[in-house]
Amino acid sequence: MNVAGFLAAQSLNALSQGAILFFIACGLTLIFGIMRIINFAHGGLFMLGAYVGYSTVAWTGSFWASLLFAPLVVGVVGGIFEKVLLARLYARQDSGAYLMVTFGLAIILAETIRLIWGPQPLSVPIPDRLRGIVLIGNQPFPIYRLFLIGMGSAAALLTWQFLERTRAGLLVRAVAQNAEMVHALGTDVSAVRTGVFALGCAMAALGGVLSAPLLTAFLGMGTNVIIDAFVIVIIGGMGSFLGSIIGSVLVAFVQVFGSYYFEDLALAMMYLLMLAILIVRPGGMLGKEE
Amino acid sequence: MRGRIVLAVIVALICATAPIMPAFTLTLVTEALIFGLFAMSLDLMVGYTRLYSFGHAAAYGLGAYSTALILLHFGLPLPIGILAGVAVSVVIAVPIAWVCTRSTGVSFAMLTLAFAQLGYAMLYRFKEFTGGSDGIGGIPRPAGPFGLDFFQGKVGYFYLVMFCLAASFVLCSVLVTSPFGAVLAGIRENEAKTRALGYNTRAYKIAVVVVAYGLGSLAGALYTPFAGFVAPELFFWLVSGRVLIMVVVGGAGTLIGPIIGGVFFVMLEHQLSEVTELWPLAFGAIFIAFVILAPEGIWGLLTRYLRTTQPEPRDAGQEASSAAS
Repeated sequence: MNVAGFLAAQSLNALSQGAILFFIACGLTLIFGIMRIINFAHGGLFMLGAYVGYSTVAWTGSFWASLLFAPLVVGVVGGIFEKVLLARLYARQDSGAYLMVTFGLAIILAETIRLIWGPQPLSVPIPDRLRGIVLIGNQPFPIYRLFLIGMGSAAALLTWQFLERTRAGLLVRAVAQNAEMVHALGTDVSAVRTGVFALGCAMAALGGVLSAPLLTAFLGMGTNVIIDAFVIVIIGGMGSFLGSIIGSVLVAFVQVFGSYYFEDLALAMMYLLMLAILIVRPGGMLGKEE
Repeated sequence: MRGRIVLAVIVALICATAPIMPAFTLTLVTEALIFGLFAMSLDLMVGYTRLYSFGHAAAYGLGAYSTALILLHFGLPLPIGILAGVAVSVVIAVPIAWVCTRSTGVSFAMLTLAFAQLGYAMLYRFKEFTGGSDGIGGIPRPAGPFGLDFFQGKVGYFYLVMFCLAASFVLCSVLVTSPFGAVLAGIRENEAKTRALGYNTRAYKIAVVVVAYGLGSLAGALYTPFAGFVAPELFFWLVSGRVLIMVVVGGAGTLIGPIIGGVFFVMLEHQLSEVTELWPLAFGAIFIAFVILAPEGIWGLLTRYLRTTQPEPRDAGQEASSAAS
């Protein structure tokens, strides 16, 4: 067997997995950066994205339509949730209250999805243009996974450019630094919060839509992915955008190579990595120590 | 005070009628009490120290699995086996507490969650001992010590659980009203200030996490011979979430509240899950409503309602904190 080819294929595999993880971790970390909220419902919103994507494909027959429609729907759901429920808690300044309310939402989302779409996993076909394989070295590699890597990289670049180069991005960073000051300067901070929350939810939904053709849409997917995403943002540093990219890739590599080389430790590898990093740097790789 | 008297009467009534209760009811009550103990242990962290743990299932699972293995392999008498299981769990809890308390706030919550998930993963890693996804079944309730076989029956086991809950309650009451509890309240209200007063807050936090894990593992240890089997789901994060909900809905920052929350949810769940499929949905909605509208929980609402004539004396921890603020 060609070792280099194998390693290349596995690395690409890990990168494509990292791309999906990035979509959820990036939204999570953006929301945390602005609002100091860890959104427990993020996995549920990721799952909602996958299911709405499934239905969109079923109605319109177009995967590309689902890439637009699902994030839109989930973004609106997230925005409403923030406006109606979370906004009531800001005055309390209690991070535990956020955790609990979003946990409640996670339960409600999972149950609502089960009631609407039923308990069976739903498979979403890979769109025609992305079907098939390419040879890397002499290892076959699915084109769809290359597409995922492309989407993940594009999303990372776009988000970065948005934060650094646009006026809206500047506002987001300013609110993260000092919300009161931004408010005093005449900006509607609560609108920025709602917007960022909706954007983060929409990103999670996009990740859900993209993962459905690989893994189907199933009821446990939100749980699986939210735990991974928590580990990523802790490794990368809470609220650090660059940290969420590095964390996603790192966790994906540990998952892919861990399950190959340390089969019986595969499940534990990710947590061991996290503990090792936290013992050295309690705030995560790029985070500030609290 | 009136609330406590009503409660004491209810407890006495349950204890008195236990031998004549239908077997099914008795089983349900026993399970509810185990969850009450589990919720109370978590509240030492959440309500008294404001350390939000999202991985308290780790304590429960540790207690359950170590007791299961001890009862299966060492043939110790039932109460001794349970105590041994708790002792093992406490030893494991010390390094966990040490690592988790390096972080605060949300990171602390995520770390506790990670340890619970790590425990879940380890069950699959050490299949030979833990049975992997099958769990461990056929756990005995050995007689003894001194040939005592009272705890083997349903009624006896109920009294054992009730005794453990009562003993833990007394232990926690002493703890939270002691100077130790006052420091915990100080950490809850303002950790930096408490540290500036010369207290080693990290050591206090490690201590309270270990105690909470110890009592949580006692709940898990009691669950093992009660159910007769253990499964990896005991470590699952939904268990951690459920017990957190019990604490908050029952009344965080009190000892009775979480017990009420645990009992309330086990009973309600049992009744409603037979009637409606929508139960988990209602569960989530009730939880959100309590967090937003009534953060003081059922017990808080109840004491406010009952406190019509005389003001209820608050516990020492809360007095210290309100004096500080």
